Amino acid sequence: MRSKLFRVGITAVLVITAVAFVSTAAFAQARPAAYTPAKTPDGQPKITDGIWNRRGVGGLDGGALEAEAQRPNNPLDPTARNPVSVSARPDGLNNTDRGFLDQFSEKLGLGAEDPDRPAPLPGQRQLMGIAEPGRILPWKPEANAARQDFLLKTNPAKGLKYLEMDARCMQPGLFFGNGPFQFLQTDKQVTILSEYQHFTRHINMDGRPHLPKTFKMFMGDSIGKWEGNTLVVDTTNFNGITSYSREIPYLSEATRTTERFTLTDANTIDYEVTIDDPTQFTRPWKVTGQYTKANDLPELLEYACWEGSITMRNILGDPPSK
Amino acid sequence: MKKLRGLVTGAGAVICILMLAGISAEAQQAQRRVGGKPDFNGIWQAMNSASWNIEDHQGEMGVPPGLSVVEGGAVPYRPEALAKKQENYANRATADPTEANCYLPGVPRITYMPFPFKITHTPTAIALSYEWTHALRPVVMDGSPHPETPEENWMGISRGRWEGDTLVVDVRNFNDQTWFDHAGNHHSEQLRVTERYTMTGPDSIQYEATIEDPKVFTRPWKMSMPLYRRKEPNIRLLEYECAYYLQERIYKDAPFF
Repeated sequence: MRSKLFRVGITAVLVITAVAFVSTAAFAQARPAAYTPAKTPDGQPKITDGIWNRRGVGGLDGGALEAEAQRPNNPLDPTARNPVSVSARPDGLNNTDRGFLDQFSEKLGLGAEDPDRPAPLPGQRQLMGIAEPGRILPWKPEANAARQDFLLKTNPAKGLKYLEMDARCMQPGLFFGNGPFQFLQTDKQVTILSEYQHFTRHINMDGRPHLPKTFKMFMGDSIGKWEGNTLVVDTTNFNGITSYSREIPYLSEATRTTERFTLTDANTIDYEVTIDDPTQFTRPWKVTGQYTKANDLPELLEYACWEGSITMRNILGDPPSK
Repeated sequence: MKKLRGLVTGAGAVICILMLAGISAEAQQAQRRVGGKPDFNGIWQAMNSASWNIEDHQGEMGVPPGLSVVEGGAVPYRPEALAKKQENYANRATADPTEANCYLPGVPRITYMPFPFKITHTPTAIALSYEWTHALRPVVMDGSPHPETPEENWMGISRGRWEGDTLVVDVRNFNDQTWFDHAGNHHSEQLRVTERYTMTGPDSIQYEATIEDPKVFTRPWKMSMPLYRRKEPNIRLLEYECAYYLQERIYKDAPFF
């Protein structure tokens, strides 16, 4: 009797699990299956030629297509109009992530909607940012303490290492620079060109392994593969000096990202990146958003940042001599 | 029996085809075409010392010697422009926009910097990505004219077209800030560069750049050189972040207040 009940129980669990699994799989596949992209000559799903823009994949501090009024305040702006400014927060920066993000990120259904934000177009993915409950990153306490200590030295910058990489005209590290972008596909690589900081992402599709650990790079070393309509990109070999935003000073060399670019129609790519930096966070966290075809942008123009820039001189003063 | 013979013959034919395919892999690479044109995809590099000096020059400490890549040997400067070149040469250690300041090298200098670059070639688009400070040149191939921009560009604006199997890139909208080499060879904002990329084998491109700038030169002139495929099986572009290295040096003890 007991054993029969046990068997029934097991069966029920198995059935429920199977049903759950099947329906989850069906749900997960439901959206991509609705769109069948064209194929490249060698059979890869084809990313529509041309220029793309980013929506919602901002750092904590920006979004390419966000209207000026919807842009967040600069966290280092010490004026009263910026209530989450680091400088205006001598109280220890608690809750910075939540307060800052609430200014510009759309909700995950966890709070009130921003009435000023336009509704997404039909069928469009909600624009997000950090896809974490409350958008609070899972900091390790010691990393969070180091971060707060660091941030208090950034305005004014107490030295070169307290200056954000954007002010130094460096590549952004994670794939969050302001657009536009151009995607080019060959049989061995997906190449993404960025107007911002004129960087190129070389995503190797030919099965080669990652670079040896000796190589530490701003944009890391990327390997891609297709899973259905999703380009999955695994990136390692980061250099430990790029940041996710002004509020997170650096991501460590141990950082590994997994990006998923899902073609949902000819003009839309859903984007999700999982950021795993075990030295600073208790678990990986995600940022999600979208790329949309920018039909009104014919080409990438030149973004010459370092050439003639006086930003560093303004912040750090004139070097004694070159 | 007949059937078996047919099978054996068929298998033999298949093996022959497979062997031929193996033998001529390199030849096939040469014949590979993208959108009906030779396949320029790959990582390429000049193998000369033009980045130090496009004209004849002897070796110096840290400067490899080299023969001129300029057709006819010398750059046809107007007299006042030659004086400017000589001044640039004297001040090159600090005045070279690229070597001393890490500014984008312009065209054609970026082509013969001693660093590899990648050509990405699809049926509709071409992009040139350089290892040196991740310089980037999207080459628009849609037949559109150069945009009317008030901005002057370090790398110019590139418009590509095909003349037979030759990729011709017309580059305009330059500023007057870049040098052709470390020896101070220069130009004005009236510079116009016409590049011609012609595949001469599976692993080589003949590169030509015609330079027009009536403000600086007495006539159009041309430089040319081969570009070679980097054939290492694990070749890829790495990062050479000139501005970062420079900043780490000159702002090491900042702030300077």
